[in-house]
Amino acid sequence: MKTKFLLIAAAAMLLGLTSCSKDSEKSNYSEYQKAVNNTVKAQKKHDKAILLVAFGSTWQQAYDAFDATVAAYKSAFPSYDVFLSFSSAICINRAAAGENVAPRNFYAPPFWLTAFAQDGVKYSEIVIQSLQVIPGEEYTRVINYIKDFANNSNGDLDDSYLSKVTLKLGVPLLQDADADVNAVAKTLNDLYKDRAASNVVAFMGHGNPDSYDTYKANIRYTQLEEALQTYSKNYYVGTVDMMANFKTNVLARMQANGITSGTVYCHPLMSIAGDHAHNDMAGDDDENGAPNEEGEVEDTSWKCYFAAQGYTCNDGTQIVKGLLELPSVRQIWMNHTTAAINGEPLDYYHSKNPE
Amino acid sequence: MSGLLALALCVCQGVMAQDTLKKFDLQELVVTGTGTLHLLKDAPVQTEVITGKQLKNFGGRSLQEILSGLATSFDFNEDDMGSHITMGGLGNSYILILVDGKRLNGDVGGDNDLQLIDPQNIDKIEIVKGAASALYGSDAVAGVINIITKKHDEGLLLENSTRVGSYGDLRQHNGFGLRSGRWNSYTNFQLQHTDGWRNTSVEHTSPLEDPVLDSKNKTRNRFTSWQAAERLTYDAGKAGEYYAEGSIYGKRIYRLSGKYPHYDVNTYDLAYQNAGASVGGKWNLGNKDYITFDADWNRHAYYYHFTSETLVEDYDKSAGTIYYPYYPYLAGQEALQSDQQRTLLSAKGVFTLPFQNRLSGGAEFRYDYLKAPTRVEGGKADDWTAAVYVQDEFNPHRNFNITAGLRLNRNHQFGFKATPKVSVMWSVTPDLRLRGGWSQGFKTPTPKELHYMYVRQMSGTYLYLGNKDLKAQSSNYFSASLEYSVKGLVLTVGGYFNKLDNMITLVTIPNYEAPDELIARYDPVKTRKYQNMDKAKTYGGDFSLRWKIGDFLLNAGYSYLDTKADQYDTDHETIRRVKIDGMAHHKGSFSLLWNHSFSSAYQLGLGLYGRMSSKRYYQTNGDGKGYQLWRFATTHDIRGSRNLTFSIQAGIDNIFNYVDRTPHGLHLGTTSAGRTFYAGILVRFTNGRKTINKIKTNLNQRDDEN
Repeated sequence: MKTKFLLIAAAAMLLGLTSCSKDSEKSNYSEYQKAVNNTVKAQKKHDKAILLVAFGSTWQQAYDAFDATVAAYKSAFPSYDVFLSFSSAICINRAAAGENVAPRNFYAPPFWLTAFAQDGVKYSEIVIQSLQVIPGEEYTRVINYIKDFANNSNGDLDDSYLSKVTLKLGVPLLQDADADVNAVAKTLNDLYKDRAASNVVAFMGHGNPDSYDTYKANIRYTQLEEALQTYSKNYYVGTVDMMANFKTNVLARMQANGITSGTVYCHPLMSIAGDHAHNDMAGDDDENGAPNEEGEVEDTSWKCYFAAQGYTCNDGTQIVKGLLELPSVRQIWMNHTTAAINGEPLDYYHSKNPE
Repeated sequence: MSGLLALALCVCQGVMAQDTLKKFDLQELVVTGTGTLHLLKDAPVQTEVITGKQLKNFGGRSLQEILSGLATSFDFNEDDMGSHITMGGLGNSYILILVDGKRLNGDVGGDNDLQLIDPQNIDKIEIVKGAASALYGSDAVAGVINIITKKHDEGLLLENSTRVGSYGDLRQHNGFGLRSGRWNSYTNFQLQHTDGWRNTSVEHTSPLEDPVLDSKNKTRNRFTSWQAAERLTYDAGKAGEYYAEGSIYGKRIYRLSGKYPHYDVNTYDLAYQNAGASVGGKWNLGNKDYITFDADWNRHAYYYHFTSETLVEDYDKSAGTIYYPYYPYLAGQEALQSDQQRTLLSAKGVFTLPFQNRLSGGAEFRYDYLKAPTRVEGGKADDWTAAVYVQDEFNPHRNFNITAGLRLNRNHQFGFKATPKVSVMWSVTPDLRLRGGWSQGFKTPTPKELHYMYVRQMSGTYLYLGNKDLKAQSSNYFSASLEYSVKGLVLTVGGYFNKLDNMITLVTIPNYEAPDELIARYDPVKTRKYQNMDKAKTYGGDFSLRWKIGDFLLNAGYSYLDTKADQYDTDHETIRRVKIDGMAHHKGSFSLLWNHSFSSAYQLGLGLYGRMSSKRYYQTNGDGKGYQLWRFATTHDIRGSRNLTFSIQAGIDNIFNYVDRTPHGLHLGTTSAGRTFYAGILVRFTNGRKTINKIKTNLNQRDDEN
């Protein structure tokens, strides 16, 4: 009898373990969306909105940089409501939970956009500003969010609103191979020319971990290094993930220019100083980064690697600042926003996968 | 009064001295090495036993505590993901953990959930190192831990054991046994709980970041687990015995959140559900020959239990109507991460042959089904292995035994592999035995190692990838040992060498080798992928001493271990020689017990236990510090009446209050909370005589020899 009971109980438990139904799925979306809608409604002051889109971070320093960026945008674009979005779920979740003084709601772009289209909000103009550095894979995701929105992918938006809303896209920092690359090079040189006068200043970008030119984006790092080197041969730009442009390749280029000793300053070439800046650039590692046939040393930070190669590279030479923390660089992003506002609106309606 | 006491002592010493011969020399029966019952002293394969008496004296709250306290080969590094048990330097995926001969099912990252085992229901534990037996296939590369549970055949049995300890520790065991004619039922319920503890509030941070000194992360998180099990047996007398059993289990690990999103914020707890059912039987063929059959099904499901709103990016959208790349879970909801279902069919026969031969032969079929909607491409994966084996125990001379076995494995993805085993035992004199053995092991990658994909957030995002190109692992294990026993003293010295090929482990790979889409989605600081390390070897020596003098029993053990793994570094295209993560060169254990009967109504046991380990090596995040931990345990057996007995246990663990306060994020030598206290009481009521004194177990260890 008891066995029978247990078997029935076990069977009941199994039935209870089936995945959630469509109904609960819909209600989850609507409940979550409701929270985003309420946030937007509460903050709506203008008829136009700017949505800043970043990958996201869990570092306090990054939150501070984002807060300062939002504040700068609010003051530079006084007729716009300004919102900040993360595209990484892990970063969104962790920022919103816990015992933070104030919960930080960096909702994902699709939820913000849906909230912008709700009754009672319906912004007449939405400017989406990419906070990416290069127009790579991340940026492509941003474009896809806008296309999904513009085309009402879920069928839950007001089509007549979508047909008339003005959508604008602010491009990444290094979108243009000439104008942007030269502007960023000039700005960085203005900031670091004193250090670069007699030391190496090595910038660490992210890079796309695929072939060299899938998005025609990785090449921006090379172009930026070329532009910086018009000011000084002491500037270098390497990456974490771009093939043939790791720290080992930076070292090879330094050596080819005859720089075999001296001080190396390291600086992230990313919008914020988060995991990569603290771990891949300035982290402490057990290994000493000995050179090898392939080039890259995966488990060693830039700091430890250059130190092991005989350069002076230590905590004191790490400039752990994201580009958004440099007001003059941040201004270039803001210039892109201004250009987007002044430029032609996006024509993404019925544009998804046009091929 | 003193005269009476002296008399009592004298009488009891006499009783204990006889008891000693039975309990503490090599009269223990063991089954694990060959699948047939042997006296420990005659076991062809070197077997280590943790006896029921030791378990009772030690008063361990969990299998982890028992194994680390009473055997030298084990180490643990418990966290939310499992116990991280190692045996001879090798991790859980190389250790076969059996409960009454059946392998424990279900793991997270290769680590079995050891809370599935009720520490109060363990009769004894047998440990066999290496892939020494033909009976066991995949997993038994480092060795086998066979947990033999208590069997009950009293007319009526009611028992309750409640043990409480520091940090809200609670271990509850309830047993109800009933025998009616040839039917016997035993119902078991167990509960394990701790509030957890925090050895440090410091996080390991980047040198350029403000230090985090008030982290909410705990060294061990709060958890509660419970299990209900029922076993029904039918004794068919000389014809054999049949059984059916089933169990259900649940567990939840509670995780706190602090104010640092990068370090101590969690948005979900971990929850587990387990269910199992088995039937089997034994048919006696006469002349000590018999056949056993077992069919077993088990599932182990692992869930996230969300504690606050959580977006997931890899939601299975196949059934959905909404096409956002995210899915929001709300607080209180659960999401299945993995559901491991295993079906096991096995049959075995044991036959006495002429000329002192004993033949065991059997077949086993195992089907593994993995459902993981968000972690496996397509949501599911499966695997099956079939094996036949034969083993002969041959005594050409009464002082000499050769046991040879061959196991033929056929895996549907990795093909055919034969693994031979041979062990010899020579009783040079009645006091001196030599044993030696060579055995091959074979382990196919698990469905998780082949197909799994998951993300962990630990000071940065780590992406873990399965690898469909993995090859099967194989091992060659050589061992030799010497055992000397005389007048209550047993000395064992042994050495082993385990050579593994194609060993599977997680290796950091460059991000550009991972799928672009995953890198864009998670932006991991490191991507780790299961890979076959080219080669690895572990070798070491063990020494143990067991000495009974009067009411005293002294146990001491020492293990030396070294490991060398040649790890192929894909990034550098070089071979790196590394130590296997978590290994320590030197480990020791010590115990001194004093058991004394003051009267037929009261027995006292006092025990002092020590265990120590040198530094534990890790490739990243620092080495674990060496440690030594001491424990004082008391047991008080009180006989209330013929039917009613009480046993009280109380003690102090980690007497000298050693705490490893290494910051979170780095490896610890031990997760011990420091000095803790415990007390427990076992109340046991029995009525009705026990049936014939036959060892009642399911499965392969059943025998009539005693």
